[in-house]
Amino acid sequence: MDKTSEEASSKGKKRQRDQQPTDPQTNQPHHQIFSLEDNLSFTDTLVALRMMRAQFPRIDKVSIQPFILRSQLYSSVKDRTQVDRELESLRREKVVRIFKLNTGQDDHAIMFLDDYLNQMENVVKRLEEKEGDQVFKWFRTHVIDSKLEPSIEHQELYTLLSLGGMVKDGHISLLINAGLLLIDPNMYWFAIPNIGSVLKGLSQGRKEVLSFLNRRRYKEMMLASMEKKCLRFSPLDMRFHLRDLIGSGHLKTVQTSTGLLVRVSKD
Amino acid sequence: MWKEIGDRERGILRPKSFTTRIKSNRIRTLQISNHKDIVSPHRASINSLQVDLTEGRYLLSGAADASAAVYDVQRATDYEGGGLIAKHKCLFVVDKQHEHGHKYAISSAIWYPVDTGLFITGSHDHHINVWDTNTTQVVMNFKMPGKVYRTAMSSLATTHMLIAAGTEDVQVRLCDIASGAFSHTLSGHRDGVMTVEWSTSSEWVLVTGGCDGAIRFWDIRRAGCFLVLDQSHSQLGRRPTIPEHSATNKALTSKSLSSGQNLNAKPRAQQRKLANGNGTKQSPVGRMPAKGSLRQRLHPGMLSSLDRATAHYGAVTGLKATEDGMYLLSAVTRSYVTKDSMHLLDPEAAGSDSRLRLWDVESGCNTLVNFETVRLQAGKPIQLATSQDSALVFVPCMTAVKAFDVWSGNTSQTFRGHYEYVNSCWFSSQEQELYTGGNDKQILVWSPPRLIADEGDEGPAQDRDNWSD
Repeated sequence: MDKTSEEASSKGKKRQRDQQPTDPQTNQPHHQIFSLEDNLSFTDTLVALRMMRAQFPRIDKVSIQPFILRSQLYSSVKDRTQVDRELESLRREKVVRIFKLNTGQDDHAIMFLDDYLNQMENVVKRLEEKEGDQVFKWFRTHVIDSKLEPSIEHQELYTLLSLGGMVKDGHISLLINAGLLLIDPNMYWFAIPNIGSVLKGLSQGRKEVLSFLNRRRYKEMMLASMEKKCLRFSPLDMRFHLRDLIGSGHLKTVQTSTGLLVRVSKD
Repeated sequence: MWKEIGDRERGILRPKSFTTRIKSNRIRTLQISNHKDIVSPHRASINSLQVDLTEGRYLLSGAADASAAVYDVQRATDYEGGGLIAKHKCLFVVDKQHEHGHKYAISSAIWYPVDTGLFITGSHDHHINVWDTNTTQVVMNFKMPGKVYRTAMSSLATTHMLIAAGTEDVQVRLCDIASGAFSHTLSGHRDGVMTVEWSTSSEWVLVTGGCDGAIRFWDIRRAGCFLVLDQSHSQLGRRPTIPEHSATNKALTSKSLSSGQNLNAKPRAQQRKLANGNGTKQSPVGRMPAKGSLRQRLHPGMLSSLDRATAHYGAVTGLKATEDGMYLLSAVTRSYVTKDSMHLLDPEAAGSDSRLRLWDVESGCNTLVNFETVRLQAGKPIQLATSQDSALVFVPCMTAVKAFDVWSGNTSQTFRGHYEYVNSCWFSSQEQELYTGGNDKQILVWSPPRLIADEGDEGPAQDRDNWSD
């Protein structure tokens, strides 16, 4: 899986990096060999994406492919404009796909295209319906391939699906039930199927981290000791949440003589 | 400094670049002024500031207690601190006691662009007043269907004198001073219009930003808007010199074509609803029948009303075009009175989707510059300012004003001085001074520091050069 993503990404221009994205991390989920402090910033968006994808926590109950939040990218690469632009070019090259999440605050999730297709496959396999089979195929070949934005209008969805065959309203309901599309008046948002519980964990985890720091006397803590904490309400690990909160501006890091300090930012 | 003057004399350095260099050096050292102070007579928050465009001498401010005042920023009314601090009191104030004054808050006060003989105020009491400066009398009055959020007049106009008014009604109205009537009504927005700005490159182009998140460009010589900015259409940085036929361009044209072809009774009903004016704006019925669409002939100018592209997920509260007319900055804050496509978003989330975007006007694309804004004031239109060479943009962020570098998005300076939220700022490129007004009823002046030694010979001496048109 990692190899295919590397091959897909290496098709992009001027991105020849001979790098091993597989790291021993995924085989040993309990030890954090790469501490967050050493891995807080990267030089390039694609490097950051791949590293964070490799460090995605393994969740036991739900099988979900790794995704990265936009705020995590902002905390990892210094120049935000560069992140935006590189992400845009990666999106246009169909290396990654961007989804709008409904956890408020203008969240976007970034997923490598291959991971997304794998996720779709897993979900579709479980829905064994005769009529529905074709819709998913049409969706995959016509819609995903050509529509790169996170949302799509009803009319356009209809025309693109019709390229595969006769489309009925029931087909679109099937897509919605599978979790691939989210309905909105007159338009649809693309969504990652089966991600609901993880998103819930995401918002609860955010609240937990922030409340934990807010309860402390000086609303701050060393990053190294923070990392070791376990979260009760979120299946995602602390590192994921820390990157996300630093990137969205709720937390800020201060360099001290003993290491990085994480502090709640007041604005 | 002396070397540069010598270079300019010898022709090694061009005069224009010499002045730009000095100006940008001064701008980089902006801080709260140690020699100038504006005494504000307002008793409520200041909503609008503008220095006149002809001389750059008179500052007009509009406040929430229905008062508008004019100050002379070049000549002080008196001096304090042994002649070191210049106090600028207002030259006159018009407020509620005035027989034709406004009754509620003034949201926007602007000068007539040609000279300082007239100024225009728009207020929450649904009226726009045109005042004569010398006699402080109202010469003309326009009644709007809703609270006026912003008024604007084109500084380039030579053939028209139209006031563009953005109100809480979905339609933008253009009022004509010459005839006293409304000359245009521009429909297309789905919610109130918080900001209107005339283009700095054409006297016929108006840009409006609405609470529905859409930014529309209107050419007033024809019907409908000719461009709706879409946040998904983006370009990487400055436009490439060789035009690319990228997928995004095709998507733009195909989208407008497909929306134009699938017309049915719905858009007609939508327009009729809009024509009825303000109040309830129902989101149009989501189901568009796939078959049996009645072909209705819609005027080509009105096709844009079907374009639901949004520039932002939130209400556009500030717009500013750069002086060269090539780029547009827009500021937006998340609005929780959600309509249409926003009900998916969690309304309990802390309001932190406030952002600034830089758009390329010619191509209509988002240039993807990321400005590090965390929070902007919600619910009120804010006034942005740009420095003359368009390198810096001054944005009121809560209680501070931040200066961002336009092309990299980095914060270059932060001006903290107000006690409460800042609503508007105006940059005077002639003096390299920034004027900011906020909810704390103060107008603060930010200027490059002046050395104490300079102040010696100036002062309250009789000055024969003190005259104005």
